[in-house]
Amino acid sequence: MLAKPIPVPPQGTQLEWRLDPPYSAKHLLILIAMLAVLLWTGHRTEMDRMVAMSVQAVGKLVGLADDSQVVRGLSRVGSSMWPPAIGEQEDVARLPGLDRERLPPFAYIEVQDRTEQRLNPETLLMEVSAERTETLVKPLGYLWTVTVKMLETLEIALWGTILSVLLSVPLAYFAARNYTPYRATYTLARGTISLLRSAPELIVALFLVLAYGFGPIAGVLALGLHAAGFLGKFYAEDIENADKKPQEALEAIGAGKLKTLWYGVMPQVVPQYIAYTLYILDRNVRMATVIGLVGAGGIGQELKGRFDMFQYDHVATILIAIFIVVFLLDQFSARLRARLM
Amino acid sequence: MIEFHHLGKTWPDGTRALSEVSLQVPRGQFCVVLGPSGAGKSTLLRAVNGLMRPTEGRLMIDGIEFNADTERALRQRVAMIHQHFNLTLRMSVAGNVLAGLLPVVSTGRALLGWFTPEHRAKACALLERVGLDPRHLRRRAGELSGGQQQRVGIARAFMLDPEVVLADEPVASLDPKISRDILTLVREAARERNTTVLCSLHQVDLAREFGDRIVGMRDGRVVFDGTPAEFTDERVQQLYAGAHWDDQPADEDTGTPVTSSLTADGRQPLAA
Repeated sequence: MLAKPIPVPPQGTQLEWRLDPPYSAKHLLILIAMLAVLLWTGHRTEMDRMVAMSVQAVGKLVGLADDSQVVRGLSRVGSSMWPPAIGEQEDVARLPGLDRERLPPFAYIEVQDRTEQRLNPETLLMEVSAERTETLVKPLGYLWTVTVKMLETLEIALWGTILSVLLSVPLAYFAARNYTPYRATYTLARGTISLLRSAPELIVALFLVLAYGFGPIAGVLALGLHAAGFLGKFYAEDIENADKKPQEALEAIGAGKLKTLWYGVMPQVVPQYIAYTLYILDRNVRMATVIGLVGAGGIGQELKGRFDMFQYDHVATILIAIFIVVFLLDQFSARLRARLM
Repeated sequence: MIEFHHLGKTWPDGTRALSEVSLQVPRGQFCVVLGPSGAGKSTLLRAVNGLMRPTEGRLMIDGIEFNADTERALRQRVAMIHQHFNLTLRMSVAGNVLAGLLPVVSTGRALLGWFTPEHRAKACALLERVGLDPRHLRRRAGELSGGQQQRVGIARAFMLDPEVVLADEPVASLDPKISRDILTLVREAARERNTTVLCSLHQVDLAREFGDRIVGMRDGRVVFDGTPAEFTDERVQQLYAGAHWDDQPADEDTGTPVTSSLTADGRQPLAA
C-alpha cells in the first residue's frame, strides 16, 4: 500500500527532453574555494615543513643531504631502545626477605668482588678495600613483568567490553525509535549515547583516576562508558533497520514488544551485534594499552613509568609486546567473525 | 462471526482506502476477497487484527467490539498468514512456529526459549500436518523454499487454535500448483477447527475453487458479494474493468467504478 500517491505534474506543464552536462562553472568555483581552504589549513598545520623535513630525511638516508633533524632524533631513540630489555637485576641487599634456597625460576645470584681505593679520613692515606656485591639476576624477569601487565591490560579490555554491553542493551532498546515507549525516553537515550560517544576514553580516564585512584577500576569504567555509547547507537540502528515483516507477524497476534523484539528482531541482528562487540573488544585492547598513560592500570602505566625514567630498552619490550598482542587479537577476531557470519 | 459495520478508512494524506464496508462473515466460512490492486483488500483484512485502525465504523468479533481495550484479547483469537510469509529467516523453523504462541507464553519462558513439552509437541504436530518433516525442525526458515516457508507460516497461524485466520494474498508469490496445495491446506486446517477464513486473492480461478463466498472490492467499496456460482465471467470483467494504478475514484452515486481514461488508449483490462 502506497502511503503517498505518485506525484503527477499539473495539467498543461510543458515537458521537454534535455540532459544537462554534469558540471558547470559553479562546480569549478567550489573546487577552487576548497583548494584555497586546504592550502591555508595545510600551512597552519605545518604540512609544508613536514614535507621538507621528510624529503631531507630521505636525502640523508640515500646520502644526498648532510644532516637531518628527523634522522638524528630517530636514530638517537632507536639506538637507546636496542636491544630490548629482557632480564632484570636487583641488588640482593635491597631484598631482605630473599630466600636463597628457593630463588624464582631461572634466577641466580651473581657475586661481584670489587677492590676500591679509598681515602681513610683518619690516616689521610689511600687504603685498598674489598667490597662484595650480590645481584639477583632474573634472565627473563622483565618479560615476565610485561606479560603480567599485558594480562592485566587484556582483563581491563574484557571487563570494559562486558560493562559496555550491559550498559548498551537497555540504551539500545530505548534509543530504537520503533521500540522506545515514549518520545522522552527516546530523546533521553539518544542524548546519553551522544554524551558517552563524545567523551574520549583518555579524558574520561583522567577524571576517573581522580575519583577512583590509580589502577584498573578507572580503566574499565572509561572503556566501558565510551564503548556503551558506540554499541548503544549501532545496536539501536540495527533494531530500527531490521526487516519489519516478521515483527508485523508477531505484532498482529499480540505478542507484545519485548517478545517481538526477541523473536522478530534479535535473530536477524545477532551476527551484526557479534561483529560490533568483537570490534569493541579489539578497540578496547588497543585503548587499554593507552589509557594506562594517565594511570588507569595495565601496560600503559608501566610504559609511562619507563618512558619517564628514560629506560628506552624497557619501552621497546613493551611496544613489541603490544604489537604482538594486537596482531594476534586481529587474527583471532577476523576468524571468529568469519565463522559466525 | 465477524461483523463490519460501515467501516471506513481515510489515510492521513486524504486517500480513501475503505468506505462504507458492511459485511457479516459467519463462523467457519471461507470468504475470499477479490479485487484489483489498491482496492482495499489488505486494508480490510488488517482491520480485523488491528494492524489498520479504521477511521469510521465498527468491527465486531463474536459480538465484541474491536477497540484499544479489547485489542490484546481479540488479537490472540485472530491469526494471520502473510503474502511474504513474514518469518524470522535466521531463526529455526521450530522457533518460528513456537513464536505463534508468544501471546500466551510468559516473558521469562519466551526469552529463554523454554516452551512446555505440550507446546513443543503441538508445534511438531502442526508441522507434520502442513507436510514438513522432522529434518526441517532445526533448519533456518530462510533456507526453505517459498512454498515450504508458507507452510511454516500456516503452522504458526494455527498454533493458538484461532477462531479467525486472515490470509493476505497467501499465494501471490507461489506457483499455481503450490498455490493450490497451500490453499487446500488452509481450507482443511480451518474446517477441522471450524475456523473462519478471510482470504484475499488475485486469482479468480482459485477464488471460485476455494471460496464459500466471494466478496469483490473496488476502490475501497464492496461491489460484489455472493457465492462462486454467482460470480460469473461478466462480473469478473466488471470488477477488473479499467483497473490501473491511477484509478479514478468510484462514482459516488452508483458505487460502480468510473472507467478510467487510460483504458481508452487500447490497454487490456487486467482480468481480460
